Amino acid sequence: MELLEREQFLGDLEALLSDVTAGSGRVVLVSGEAGVGKTSLVECFTEAHKKQARVLWGSCDALFTPRPLGPLYDIAHQTQGTLLSLLEEEAPRVSIFSAVLDELEKVRPPTIAVTEDVHWADEATLDLLKFLGRRINRTHSMLVVTYRDDEVGADHPLRRVLGDLPHRSVARLRLAPLSEAGVNTLAESAGRRIEDLYAVTGGNPFFVTEALASKAPGVPVTVRDVVLSRAARRSPAARAVLELVSVVPARTEMWLLGDTIGRDTEALEEAVSAGMLRYEGESIAFRHELARRAVEDSVAVSRRQSLHKLVLKALINRRSEALLARIVHHAAQADDGAAVLKHAPIAARQAAAFNAHRESASHYQTALRYAGELAPEERARLLECRSYECYLTNQGDEAVQARREALEIWRQAGDEARQGDNLRWMSRLGWWVGRKAEADSYAVEAVAVLENLQPGPELAMAYSNLAQLHMLADEHQQAVHWGTRAIELAEKLGATEILVHALNNVGTAELISHDEKGRIKLEESLRLALANSFQEHAGRAFTNLASAAVRSRNYHLAMRYLDAGIAYTSEHDMDSLTLYMRAEQARVHFEQGDWDSASDHAESVLKHYGVLAITRIPALAVLGHLRVRRGDPDAARLLAEAHELAMNTQELQRIAPVASALAESAWLKGDLEQLMGEASFVLEMARVRDDRWIQGEFAFWMWRAGGAPETNENIAAPYALQMSGDWRAGAEAWREIGCPYEEAMALADGDESAQRAALAVFEGLGAGPAAERLRQTLRATGVRGIPRGPRSSTKENPAKLTNRQIEVLALMVDGLGNAEIADRLFISARTVDHHVSAILAKLDAHTRAEAVSVALQTGLIKQIRQSPTKK
Amino acid sequence: MPRYIVERSFTDGLKIELNEEGAKLCRMIGLNNAEDNVTWIRSYVRDDRKKTYCIYDAPSPESIRRTARRNNLPVDCITEVQVLDPYFYR
Repeated sequence: MELLEREQFLGDLEALLSDVTAGSGRVVLVSGEAGVGKTSLVECFTEAHKKQARVLWGSCDALFTPRPLGPLYDIAHQTQGTLLSLLEEEAPRVSIFSAVLDELEKVRPPTIAVTEDVHWADEATLDLLKFLGRRINRTHSMLVVTYRDDEVGADHPLRRVLGDLPHRSVARLRLAPLSEAGVNTLAESAGRRIEDLYAVTGGNPFFVTEALASKAPGVPVTVRDVVLSRAARRSPAARAVLELVSVVPARTEMWLLGDTIGRDTEALEEAVSAGMLRYEGESIAFRHELARRAVEDSVAVSRRQSLHKLVLKALINRRSEALLARIVHHAAQADDGAAVLKHAPIAARQAAAFNAHRESASHYQTALRYAGELAPEERARLLECRSYECYLTNQGDEAVQARREALEIWRQAGDEARQGDNLRWMSRLGWWVGRKAEADSYAVEAVAVLENLQPGPELAMAYSNLAQLHMLADEHQQAVHWGTRAIELAEKLGATEILVHALNNVGTAELISHDEKGRIKLEESLRLALANSFQEHAGRAFTNLASAAVRSRNYHLAMRYLDAGIAYTSEHDMDSLTLYMRAEQARVHFEQGDWDSASDHAESVLKHYGVLAITRIPALAVLGHLRVRRGDPDAARLLAEAHELAMNTQELQRIAPVASALAESAWLKGDLEQLMGEASFVLEMARVRDDRWIQGEFAFWMWRAGGAPETNENIAAPYALQMSGDWRAGAEAWREIGCPYEEAMALADGDESAQRAALAVFEGLGAGPAAERLRQTLRATGVRGIPRGPRSSTKENPAKLTNRQIEVLALMVDGLGNAEIADRLFISARTVDHHVSAILAKLDAHTRAEAVSVALQTGLIKQIRQSPTKK
Repeated sequence: MPRYIVERSFTDGLKIELNEEGAKLCRMIGLNNAEDNVTWIRSYVRDDRKKTYCIYDAPSPESIRRTARRNNLPVDCITEVQVLDPYFYR
């Protein structure tokens, strides 16, 4: 097969395949409009290499709600073995994904795995793409993905996945339509001349080919006209085959054809030899999806419904779990309510089992369309399930709406237990979509309703939810009060998951208020969550342990929890928690004076599409604060956005970091009135909640603005020391904690030599405005010989390795293996693994030995040995 | 995309020759910038060659700093600016 105007792309694919063969796997994204020839290109390429490479082929199909892991089923039927059996027994997703990776890793000759039409992919398939994309470089495999870019809008879930792929491992091929010369060449070889062919078809190869193949006189106006005029010339029997095949998305198996309209070999042959259908293994399909759509649309609605009914009956008779999504699709298309209500909830549960929660929510939605005749309680249960699946897939408004309807049904039915549980859910959802006041009032109402009844798991969870809201708002006493009730009840009921939730809330509340007993509870919550595979709870425990450590400025501990937590949540692809912890990492780097790493982390959080407000706030706060300290432009815009989002949450832990940046900005500009305004509000909030660090920080800003020093002794020591006038002890305290900027701020209050030291620190950090302010102070007091401006920076670390990566690299130079490095640095072996891959990538090295040699040659490691290690 | 003026100080004076070596360096800088979507428009160099005022199109101040790090260039100060052209007022 020869393709026109595709030499360049075939050349690119060749080059990529030789990279892959050499051992660095790639994802290749092939995009373009429908009919532009994506499949033809990939077929031509794989055909040419089927001797050197193993070719696997899967495709997504245009079901209203796609099959979970549909393309993987196709591929598993080609590989057989473990992968297929894991899929059939609905094994946990982690094992399925690892089996795919094993499959790609185990074969030495390269594998070309093609996944077609991922603009229709289900959520689990998208997760698989992301999973493979992040690991493909370790394999001898090429993952070719095709999609229609004109169907992938800004909020299409595929966008996010493509954006998250590591760009080193990704190649993008975007196919353009044919040129006018190309269209003419095709017309010549077909021996036809059609006027305006290029103008009408826009160079779309499928359209051009169809137009040339149709014997109709004159210019066809649309693809649809061309296809239908070809179909119209077939015999009635062949048309019947075409119509049946047209209502089945993707392809029609031979058995399905046999079980519906009978296997009429002659009619089938006619449709194939006319070039409308083609064989694909044991199936038959239209030569192109555009043709299928054209024929499907031309079938009258009543006829279409009866075709769907035929297909539905045949599919149900096969009695296969793997056909569920297709059964629901045809049941809905046949408008067969009873069949939808029977199969959609099962399909929804199956999809959820594969973590295809978006598809699960969609199946429930389909079921609900026909739920009018169900008993109200049954409808309410469907609504509850839909709400939960929407909650898991970031569809906040939909989740709230379904939950509200369910609540109303239970209220009318007078079922207080269900009512209470749904009130508790309304509270959770209210918090999650950022309506704090609503969340609070539902939480209280849930407890009130459920306390009327025999205490059960619903009440325990309602207590724990109330505890969580108080914990998040830094109202520690109430959090402990309600959380303790939840723990007692959960223990009595033997409800482990609720116990894990409640231990987390109480533990976090205690830990934030400096009660170390909290750590024991939180660690216990983590242990139970890990032991029972409660992934969300485990992720939340890591996050809260880390956040508490960050808030008390215990950076060593914070980094340990963050490393372990991120390793865990990344392994389980829990992106929203990973991003939240990455924002915390940004804060740690920022406060420790590693501003480049801080901005890299914060930016990597912000560039994500659809990141939750509670994650966006800390990332914006760090980046905005960083710009304030560097004197970089546009800090105000970031901080204004963060401020608005934070105020909506009404939570101190989110408001304080933003206010801190705004206060410092006011101080650097010398606007004491604004400084006082920013600081007094947060100081009051922190005082009520008795938070030592935040009280200390904002009391300090009030004092800077000219207020009296704080009298409350229960505030963080370094701030208290500074306000008491003991700048030396204050600076020493900051040095011990590891905050160079704050240390310099304390030194700036000292004598001339301390001030000169402060100036050097500010300039080393790149803190232009603070340095300038101090220089003015020095000049005003008559000090001479002040360094004029920042010294030109020298480059110590050309590869941009982070401090942690440099530590790891140094140990690699010493010849340590990953397990030993993990022991030495108190991190998991998996985390070391991540660091090592990042180091190799940054140094552009293929092996450890190469990385070590680069490190020594460039002096990267020698330099590090000489510089003192950071605290 | 916002436009920025980036001020840089070179205590030992800026050394960039008008020869093949200098051209290579500029190409290298261009490539490093491209990774972050940063475009170097032009620079004005003070007579003593100890200070430059460089005009950039870039997505953010952080991208300017990141490419400066990669190119081993100092940054004193980044200012966001808009173009004011006397032609519009004639």
